[in-house]
Amino acid sequence: MKLAIVVQRYGLEINGGAELHARYIAEHLARHAEVEVWTTCASDYVTWRNELPVGEERVNNIPVKRFRVKHERDPLTFGRLSEVVFSQTHSVSDELDWLEAEGPTSPALIAHIGRHAAEFDFCIFFSYRYYHAFHGARTAGARAILVPTAERDPAAGVSIFGPIFRGVRALMYNSPEERTMIQALAGNEKVPSVVVGVGSEVPQNPQPHRFRQKHRIKGPFAVYVGRIDENKGCRELFSHFSSYLRQQAGNLTLVLIGNSILEIPTHPRIRHLGFLDETDKFDAIAGAETLIMPSFFESLSMVALEAWALGRPVLANAKCDVLKGQCIRSNAGLYYDSEAEFVETLRAIEFNKWIAGSLGKNGRQYYRDHYDWPVIERKYLAMLQQLAQTPHVGDSFESTPGWMERRKATCPPAAQVVAAIPAGPSVAPEMTIPRPAGPVTPPLPRRPQTPDRGRQAHTRPPSPGGGRPQRGGRRSSGQGPGAAR
Amino acid sequence: MPDFNVRSDAVNVEQIMEQIRARIREKRGVDYTEAQIKELASVKLEKFLDPRGVRSDLLEQFRRAQPTYAPPELPNFAFEDQTLFESTRGPLRFIRRLLRPILKLFFNPNPLIQALNIQSKLNSTAAEREAKRDAARFAFDQLHYEVMHNLVIETTRLGIEVKNLKMRLESLASRLEFNERRARALESVVVYRPASEDRPAQESRREESRRDESRRQDTRRNEPPARPAPPPPPPAAEIATTADTQAAGEASAQTPGSTEGPGQKSRRRRRRRGRRGSGAAAAIMGGQEQASAEQPGGDFGDGESGDADDSPIDSADSGAEFAGNDDAIEQSVDRREARPEPFEHAFGAQAHPDEPATGDPAGAPATSSPAARAVENQPVEEQPEEPTPSKPSASEQ
Repeated sequence: MKLAIVVQRYGLEINGGAELHARYIAEHLARHAEVEVWTTCASDYVTWRNELPVGEERVNNIPVKRFRVKHERDPLTFGRLSEVVFSQTHSVSDELDWLEAEGPTSPALIAHIGRHAAEFDFCIFFSYRYYHAFHGARTAGARAILVPTAERDPAAGVSIFGPIFRGVRALMYNSPEERTMIQALAGNEKVPSVVVGVGSEVPQNPQPHRFRQKHRIKGPFAVYVGRIDENKGCRELFSHFSSYLRQQAGNLTLVLIGNSILEIPTHPRIRHLGFLDETDKFDAIAGAETLIMPSFFESLSMVALEAWALGRPVLANAKCDVLKGQCIRSNAGLYYDSEAEFVETLRAIEFNKWIAGSLGKNGRQYYRDHYDWPVIERKYLAMLQQLAQTPHVGDSFESTPGWMERRKATCPPAAQVVAAIPAGPSVAPEMTIPRPAGPVTPPLPRRPQTPDRGRQAHTRPPSPGGGRPQRGGRRSSGQGPGAAR
Repeated sequence: MPDFNVRSDAVNVEQIMEQIRARIREKRGVDYTEAQIKELASVKLEKFLDPRGVRSDLLEQFRRAQPTYAPPELPNFAFEDQTLFESTRGPLRFIRRLLRPILKLFFNPNPLIQALNIQSKLNSTAAEREAKRDAARFAFDQLHYEVMHNLVIETTRLGIEVKNLKMRLESLASRLEFNERRARALESVVVYRPASEDRPAQESRREESRRDESRRQDTRRNEPPARPAPPPPPPAAEIATTADTQAAGEASAQTPGSTEGPGQKSRRRRRRRGRRGSGAAAAIMGGQEQASAEQPGGDFGDGESGDADDSPIDSADSGAEFAGNDDAIEQSVDRREARPEPFEHAFGAQAHPDEPATGDPAGAPATSSPAARAVENQPVEEQPEEPTPSKPSASEQ
C-alpha cells in the first residue's frame, strides 16, 4: 500500500502540533506501507515564507517533497477577512478569499496532488483549515483521508469546510469532542471515522533529579509546557497561580517551559526556563507534582498525554471540552473552572499523595490503552484496510457553487455557527482496541509497484529487524506553537 | 489539608471535583458566580424600580428603552441681505431689484436686515448650545444609571462577603472555644505529683502499715500452728491499728462507696488490679514513681520485705492482700482514685468540672476525688506518734 501524507509544514525542526502529529504518523505508518510526504517550503506558520529548499529530501528515512508557497500571508488582509468571515454575514467568495489569505497558498502542491494522487492508495491530509487540505482533498477525490485536528474555534464554522468533511473517504479524529463538533457542524455521520489521536516518544527512564540539579529547582513544582501565550490561557494561569501564592495555599513553584510572547509575573516561585530540549522536558514532567494545561481550545494535548504516559496527573482548564473530557474519561486529571477551583484542585494534588498517585496511575493506563503507538498504528491500519476493501463509488465532493452563488452573502458568521452547536465534554468511555501482543503486522494489501516514475528510488529500504526508523537530530519538544492542538 | 473521603483504587474525578466544589462552598459560604451576583443585584434594583417585572439585563433594557439622542428641530430662519427681495420667479426678482432704489427713498431696510440676520445667528447658536447640553445630560443620565447599577452590584457583593465573613468568624469562634476546652482538658491530664508537704505524712502512713503487718505476722508465728483455738483477743498494737482503721473508715465513710461490704471491696480490688495491669496512660506519662509502683513485685512480692521502693499504693495493697488489712485497702483505694484519668478520657472540660481553667495541676493538692480528699484531710493526730524517717521517693532516688 502506498500512502501520501500532505501537511502544511514538515521537518525535524517543526514543533507545531499538527505537523509533529503528521511526522509521527508518517514514520510509524512507514513500517507497514510506502509513505511519502508532500508539503511546502515554509517553516514559519505565521508568514509561510519559503525557507526550505524545493524538491525532495529524506527526513528520518521518509521521502519528503516540498513545493513553493505562492505568496506569504499578509496579516492585515487576513485579519480583515477573518473579521468578515467570523463576525459578519458573508459570501462563499469571502470564505475562499479568507482561505487564500490564510495560506499556505501553494498551487504547485495542489497540481502535484492532481498529477500523482492516482499512484497512491490514499492521501492523508492534516489540518482541515489550511489551503492545502481544502484544495488538496478536492483534488485527491476518493483517495482523501482527513485528520482534521479541529478545535472549537470560529474557523470550524466556515461553510466551505462542510463539503470537505462530508466528502473525504474517512476522518481520523483526535478526540470524541472533536468528532461530535464536526458531526454537528457538517452532518457527516455516514463518513467512516475513528478517534485515534497520536502517541509520543516518551523516554523510559526520565531523571527528575537531573532536571532539578540543572535548573536549580528546589521543592515541589507544577509545570506548564508550551508556548506562553494568552491564547493558550497563560494569562489566566498567572492570575490563578498568583492567587494561590497570595493565599499561601501550598508550596508549589510554577515552572514554565517554552517560548514566551507574554509578560510573565515576577515572583520567586514562578520560574521561566525558556525552550528546553526533549530530555529536560520529560525530566521536568516526571519530576513535577502535576502538569497544568490552561488552554481554552485544544484538539488534543500531546503534553498532557506525555504527562499521563509518565504517570503524572494533569490539571486542565475546564473551559476546554477536550481536556475536561479526557480528564473525566481517564480519571487521570482534575480541572478548574474558576480561581477558587484552581487553588483547591492544586492543593488537592499537592497534599493528597494518594489522589495524585492514583490519577497518575490511571493516566499511565489511559495512555497505554488509547495512545500508545501499537494502538494508534492498529487503528490506522484497520481503517485503511476497511477503506481498501470497500471501493468508493461516485463523486465524493459536492460541487462548488457557481460564480453568482459564490457572491451571495448568505453565509452566517462562523463564530455564531460554532456557538450554536452543543458543547461539553464527552464522558462516554472510548472504544479500546486491545493492544497487540507483538509488533503490529501489516494487514494492508500490497500494491503492485509501478515501474515508471522512479518509485523504487523513494521506496524505503527495510530497516534491519523491522525496527522503527532511526531518529536523527533533535526531536520536537512540543513547546512550540502547536505543542497542543 | 483535609482528607478526601474517596478511599478506593477506582478514583472518580467527578466525585473528587464534587468534593472540592463542596469545600469551596463551605469555605466561601454560598458560591456565587459573577453572573449570579449581577442577577441578584439587578433583581433588587428592578424590584425597587418596577416591582411587577424582573429583568436581569437591566442596563441593556434601559439603554434600549431610551431613544438615541437626536437634537430637537428648533424653528429658526435664515436672514441675509437679499432675503427680503428673493423670489422663486425670475421676472419678479428682476423687477424688485429695479425698484429697490425707489424703495430706499421711502425707508432704509438695512438696519432691519442686520437685526434679523443677527437674530437668526443667535437663534442657531442658542439651539446648538442647548443641543449640546441635552446630549451631555443624556450621557450623564446613562452614566449615573450605570454607576448606580454598579453600586448595587458592589453592595450585593459586599453583603455576601459580610455574610461569609460572619460565617467564618463564627467558625473561628467555635474553633477557639474548642481549642480552649481542649487546652483545659490537656492541662488536667498532666500527671498528679504529691505536694512536698504531703510526703512525710504519706511516708509515715506507709511505715505504720508496714509495722502493723509485721506485728501481725509475728503474732501468727508465736501461736501454736496445730491447735485450733478461738481467735485471740487483739493485742494492744492491733487495737491501735484498729483505731486507725476506724478513723480511716470514718474518713472514707464520707465517700459514697464506703458502705460496701467486704465482698464488694474484694471485687473492687480485683477490678483495680486488672485495670492496673492494662497500664493507664497517666502512669505511662508519669515519672519513675508510677513506673516502680506498677512493678509486679509490688503486688505479689513478700510483704515482709518492706521494700523501700514500694509505693504507698502497692505496699498497702500487698499488705491488704496477705493480711486483710482494711484500712490499708481503703487508703489504697483512695490513692488510686486520686490518679488522673487516662489521656483518652480526659478531653473536654466537662470531664473535670471542678478543675480550674488555669494553673498547674501538678502542684495542686491531690483532691481529684472526694475519697482522696477524705484521706488527705485526715488529722495529723491519727498518724502514728513515732516519727518515721522520711524515705526518698523513687523520683528523688
